[in-house]
Amino acid sequence: MKIAMIGWEYPPFKAGGLATHCYGLTRSLSDKNVNVDFYMPKTKHSSNNDKSNLKIIEVGETEIFPYDRPDSKEIVGNFYEAVYYYNSLVVSKIEKNIKKYGKYDAIHCHDWLTIKAGISLKEKWGIPLVLTIHSTEYDRAGWLYPNQWFIDIEKDGMQKADRVIAVSNFTKKVIIEKYGINPGKITVVNNAVYPIAEGSKKEIVLFLGRLTIQKGAEFFLRAAQKVKDFEPDAKFVVAGTGDMLPRLINQAIDLGISDRTIFTGRLTDEEVKHIYSISSVYVMPSVSEPFGITALEAISAGTPTIASKTAGFSEAFKNCLRVDFWDTDEMANKIVSLLRYDPLHKTLAEEGKREIDLFTWDSVADKTIDVYRGVT
Amino acid sequence: MTSVCMYFEVHQPMRLNKFSVFNIGKDDNRSEYFNRKLNEQIFTKVAKKCYLPTNNLLLELIRKHDGNFNISFSLTGTFVEYCQNFMPEVLDSFKKLFRTGSVDMLEETYYHSLSSLYDEMDEFEEQVKMHRQMIKNIFNYKPRVFRNTEAIYDNRIAKKVTDMGYKGILTEGTEKILGWRSPNYLYKSTNADLKVLLRNYNLSDDVGFRFSAQMWKGWPLTADKYANWMSQVQGDIINLFMDYETFGEHQWTETGIFDFLRHLPGEVLKHGHMDFVTASTAVEKYDAVGEIDVPWAISWADEDRDVSTWLGNDMQLACFNELKDIGRKIKEKKDSELLATWRRLQTSDHLYYCSTKGLADGDVHAYFSPYDGPYDGFINYMNILQDLKQKV
Repeated sequence: MKIAMIGWEYPPFKAGGLATHCYGLTRSLSDKNVNVDFYMPKTKHSSNNDKSNLKIIEVGETEIFPYDRPDSKEIVGNFYEAVYYYNSLVVSKIEKNIKKYGKYDAIHCHDWLTIKAGISLKEKWGIPLVLTIHSTEYDRAGWLYPNQWFIDIEKDGMQKADRVIAVSNFTKKVIIEKYGINPGKITVVNNAVYPIAEGSKKEIVLFLGRLTIQKGAEFFLRAAQKVKDFEPDAKFVVAGTGDMLPRLINQAIDLGISDRTIFTGRLTDEEVKHIYSISSVYVMPSVSEPFGITALEAISAGTPTIASKTAGFSEAFKNCLRVDFWDTDEMANKIVSLLRYDPLHKTLAEEGKREIDLFTWDSVADKTIDVYRGVT
Repeated sequence: MTSVCMYFEVHQPMRLNKFSVFNIGKDDNRSEYFNRKLNEQIFTKVAKKCYLPTNNLLLELIRKHDGNFNISFSLTGTFVEYCQNFMPEVLDSFKKLFRTGSVDMLEETYYHSLSSLYDEMDEFEEQVKMHRQMIKNIFNYKPRVFRNTEAIYDNRIAKKVTDMGYKGILTEGTEKILGWRSPNYLYKSTNADLKVLLRNYNLSDDVGFRFSAQMWKGWPLTADKYANWMSQVQGDIINLFMDYETFGEHQWTETGIFDFLRHLPGEVLKHGHMDFVTASTAVEKYDAVGEIDVPWAISWADEDRDVSTWLGNDMQLACFNELKDIGRKIKEKKDSELLATWRRLQTSDHLYYCSTKGLADGDVHAYFSPYDGPYDGFINYMNILQDLKQKV
């Protein structure tokens, strides 16, 4: 089986879960003797790859990321053009390879950025198209003022794809209800994790993610303020960067917690692993979260997790605590309980690690191969 | 002769209010631990779906079979309090059933607690005496057979129950204690003069768990089919022990459970060698055929048939130990209001909600739990215990 996968990011270059997913998926596919050509934009970092039947093929350069908004970047004006331009580069590169080495069994796209390329290859060459949805425009906009341009592209892709993979039931529901897609062609494949080693735990409560509306860091800070008086030794770490960083720093000052809140900015892979391993509590208060791989990462490092009820993760994973993202009283109640009640912390950490074993990239690859078989 | 002994556990726990860490130790909080509104809602719902219709049906059947259809109940103290507070007619209908003479009442701990597992047995004894007083007040009756919370049993409990004057006890007919032996006979406790009735879990669970399971090869289960199965059983007695809520609540009316029950006595009595006995009659009528030795506690709960349902993880053990410690202090203080609250918190259900047992068992736990999982159950319960501790 030979697959052309079109992505956008691939470790060590990554901005979010899409990269993590593509990395885990392509490596496990290659272990199962599926040949994958992974197309992505040229980056400054060269990607790690030691698999003979997995090729990372870089195409052109672009400054757009899957999480960008047209209004939040300096590239306003040529944002849309840049997207079209990149997609046409991908198409011509893939066509060149098809002419040289023969047709692919399927094209597999991830999210809106590369949908145009996927559709035109499908239409011109009759190759089946699989589309994985890691997040929709509604998620990225935090369900406030979604941009119709993205929605139209997503909808076009979902309609024209032979099969759609959703990273959670939550996302499947959005695809059905907001995009009107036939449930019969949607398969849910949850994300997975490469486990992270557990370190010696400090009294750290962690937020890690892009600092955007979608991820809900402001709710984390509000809960932190409520925890402060009950657990005077607790430290709150906000790891990651994004357009809300300045606002969040001001918020921490206003809430009177700036002396115990640490904004780390962007962390390297090694730093991310370290902070997971020494944190006592991980909080994922996303307003909208199709899955939330970070929760799996935290739990794999023995860090009990409090996740938003609206995250795809929290419906797929039993051994976690769930809250409404806006309910900062309850969030604080759970943070304090985890810091205070050792038996709770210990049981959640142990049972969580046991459940993590079910979330492997190997099983993601198996389920994805089933989807490929269904269209080829 | 093979006797069928049907026993029903009738219990409702006092579910708790949402109680966050921020409520702990506050004097001004309206720190009502128990969620009266939710409890009333659930009780009334179950009364309408199960208690009232099943009691009516049983009364009709007892009258119809004129002394040949006999059953046993145990009513917990918390259940009776619900009846008195919310629906006295439910208790009246139990009285009516009892007056037929075909109904036996068994003893329990008043609070359906795990007090039999404390290091000291004094609290257990007090709760049994409270239950004894309650049964006397309502039914003017003194039970002769004991049924511990969720059929928890070990040698120590057997000894204590014998010392308190009971002639028989109910527990689970698990291979753990029986080995090759059959549950369909009476046994005697190895260290006390106490007859032990053992639950036939296959036949009991056919009704309690599998009745509506369409995947099960026995489905659909009809009264004549079930009576036929029982007629082929070798032994003196078939003990069918289950939650009373099986009728109309765990198994909804639509599953046909009431039709099944309606026809069951008639179908059983068609077989000339079978009859129905109460637990007290069984203890008088049959001799023990052997001894059982149970050094470690068993119960009828979950696949494990032990006490891991309530004491299986660190969270449950922490709550259990906290609860015991608080009790010691309350008793020193002799504060009757705090004592009553503490006892209500001993109901085993609070620990049951904190169970993290996976897979099949976990699903059963989730069905009964008012919480979003065991961790929320723990946080809420532990917060309340911490508040109570501060009040003491």
